[in-house]
Amino acid sequence: MIRWLAGCGRLYRAVAHAYPQDFRITCGDGLEQLGDDVVPLVWREQGAFGLARLFGDLIVQLPIEYVKTCFDRMEALMMTGDPFEGTWRAINDKSLWDPKYTPEQACLRFEATEDGFLLVAYGIKDGKAVAERPTTIVADGRRRPIVDLNGRPIAGVPPGAVSFGRRADARTLEAGAEADGKSLGRGIYQVSPDGKSMTVTTEGMGVRGPFKVVATFERVPDPCLDEA
Amino acid sequence: MPRNKPEAFLPLRSNWFHILLSLVGGEQHGYGIMQDVLERSEGTVRLWPATLYGSLKRLIQEGLIIESGDRPAPQFDDARRRYYKLTSLGQEVLDLESQRLKDLVRILTAKRRQEARS
Repeated sequence: MIRWLAGCGRLYRAVAHAYPQDFRITCGDGLEQLGDDVVPLVWREQGAFGLARLFGDLIVQLPIEYVKTCFDRMEALMMTGDPFEGTWRAINDKSLWDPKYTPEQACLRFEATEDGFLLVAYGIKDGKAVAERPTTIVADGRRRPIVDLNGRPIAGVPPGAVSFGRRADARTLEAGAEADGKSLGRGIYQVSPDGKSMTVTTEGMGVRGPFKVVATFERVPDPCLDEA
Repeated sequence: MPRNKPEAFLPLRSNWFHILLSLVGGEQHGYGIMQDVLERSEGTVRLWPATLYGSLKRLIQEGLIIESGDRPAPQFDDARRRYYKLTSLGQEVLDLESQRLKDLVRILTAKRRQEARS
């Protein structure tokens, strides 16, 4: 009987594995895991009827998830975008820059990627155009090694350093980096309810020492920088 | 497109309400949510795994819950599991839905009283 139930667990895992990629990206292997775990429990409590319900739920939800995924993709194609997506320019009068890191102009560009955002920061400092290395933000709360866009290590980044991103709500994004459990830097990006402005709070350790910045940005069309 | 205003989620789907309610005490994994809902409803509401994970996916997309990076102490942790927790938006939505249900109960009680008097 135990072998038979283990077979049911494996079958459950196999069917759950056929769920759409989008579903699996969000939920990981949670469904497979949970189904496998509850097979013996359901058998003990409800017998064959319970197992039929368990598999019925899995099979009924499968096409529903595919349909929802199609709708999500269609919606993504039709909608104007995520509240973060686009280009933002700092309003210096409303921003508290760290004296060591005060730009004449600063812009942020959020580009949607398959699993998060590509964040590009650029601006004008000391009369020269400057740009930071583009970073990816995957807002799933997981820690990932810090690598460049080609997946290669970055010079100057401490060994074992990881980055993370979280989406506290639809308008709040948090991203940061840490090494050995200690924070290297952290930023909170919060878009206003009308989607026209964004408050960015960043703090960490830069090449000129620790810094803290609370900057207000406004949404602007591209290109962001004023002509010199 | 995620809805930004908590009011836009009302009335909240029953499954979503049960899941959010399970996360009020802190982060919880899928199995924990399923068991919590089952116990709280005295066995009347069972969130089957695919239904539960479909709802969890939707709640994440809508920004009502988030996968938690914090793990319980190793002796209480199950490394295989993902933990979820409420976002501030999720908390607001749950509060609003609770208030909506309370208002409905108050209206029903008032109507019953009125009916009894007449």
